[in-house]
Amino acid sequence: MSRAAGVALLAALLCGCVTATVDEMVFHEPEEGMGEGSVVILGRRHASDYDTEPDFVRCVGDYIASRDRAINVIGELDFVNDLYPWFEPRTAPLNPQQIAQLLQRPAVAGRLAELRLQYMIWIDGSTARSDSAGSMACGVGPGGGGCFGFGTWTNDADYEATIWDFTDRAEVGRVNTSATGQSYMPALIVPIPIIAPVQGAACDGIAAQLLQFLSSEY
Amino acid sequence: MSPSTTTARHARLLALALCLLVAACGPTAVVVKGNFPPPLVQPLPLSLGVWYDADFSGHEFSDAGEEQRSGGWVVTTGAAQVQMWDTVLGGLFAKLVHLDAKPAPGRPAAQVDGVLVPHVEELQYAIPAQNRAKVYEIWIRYRFELLSPAGEPLAQWVMSSYGKTPTAFLQSDQEAVNLAAVMALRDAGANFTTTFDNDPAVQAWLRDRGAHTGSGTP
Repeated sequence: MSRAAGVALLAALLCGCVTATVDEMVFHEPEEGMGEGSVVILGRRHASDYDTEPDFVRCVGDYIASRDRAINVIGELDFVNDLYPWFEPRTAPLNPQQIAQLLQRPAVAGRLAELRLQYMIWIDGSTARSDSAGSMACGVGPGGGGCFGFGTWTNDADYEATIWDFTDRAEVGRVNTSATGQSYMPALIVPIPIIAPVQGAACDGIAAQLLQFLSSEY
Repeated sequence: MSPSTTTARHARLLALALCLLVAACGPTAVVVKGNFPPPLVQPLPLSLGVWYDADFSGHEFSDAGEEQRSGGWVVTTGAAQVQMWDTVLGGLFAKLVHLDAKPAPGRPAAQVDGVLVPHVEELQYAIPAQNRAKVYEIWIRYRFELLSPAGEPLAQWVMSSYGKTPTAFLQSDQEAVNLAAVMALRDAGANFTTTFDNDPAVQAWLRDRGAHTGSGTP
């Protein structure tokens, strides 16, 4: 018991501070949850200066699937490979109206019907380092080695999830999340990283809102 | 220990050190490997011959000048190019025939409706040292020749593709370069699938052969 408390205290001490904000805008939420259909969560990758990280998309999907096992979340890579080349950065639909054009292709329409896709959620955004300061020097000598110094940096996460109702071919909701966190790395012989889980906080924030939208249990 | 034994031992150590030094300064070699899904389209009821010349099937690109001497990159894409184009063309056409030689007058290709000859005209890349961002990028410009079974030119067009990946996703720079190349190849397949029948001469060939196009942007 005391060991577990010690580990928890150490973990808490080694985490930097994160501030997260979540905004939700929902037009048409399903009253009984999403039922027996499936949902796919995809990252936007058509911007020139950033890509939505695949591990962030996976994190959101895992959060939803682990908390409501009735929701069938299709993996992003499986979906994109299954429907190649219609969801590549060059060809992915940018608005729900383009789904109708996509469904005119018998092969695509057939595959989507097999998947029983009800909602398509697009996540657009990224986590980036916005500021850093400090310095650290490390050395090795005959008697041993070590580091001395202090470093700090700020990470900013900004994501937006857009929910498309695949049956009605309409946008039915949007969730925005932004998180900022300061990480530290003091070094007195051994560097001790105190990392702010910025991307994790943004993932939890956006996934909790999406879970409320999709699940009848939340 | 005799002086000659000591000298021989020193010579071996020196040779080993030189080998390690030369190896450390040499370019980093990457052989592009990836999985390429078949396109989800209705195949055209045609038999297409394909001819990959030695430049195409053995394609590689490398750093030039200063970076080559200080340890740049040699990236081999030929095998992955052939793998990707075999998969894409095999999905787009009812039958794909690999030819042993480019068809020419007096040496026609048998049992095909047309012959496609792809060429890599140009390949450009940007690595983090060049673009000052943690992004690897690759651009490929292709030229395609469509020939009749007798080797007469029917159409010729150029097409570009682009792939990028942030280093942060991956463990090593080699993996990041590999993924950027795989993304560029996927994009090439997507671009070809959705636009190859835009060329009027290709449209005329398809009409002559009684094939309704199964591609095109949604």
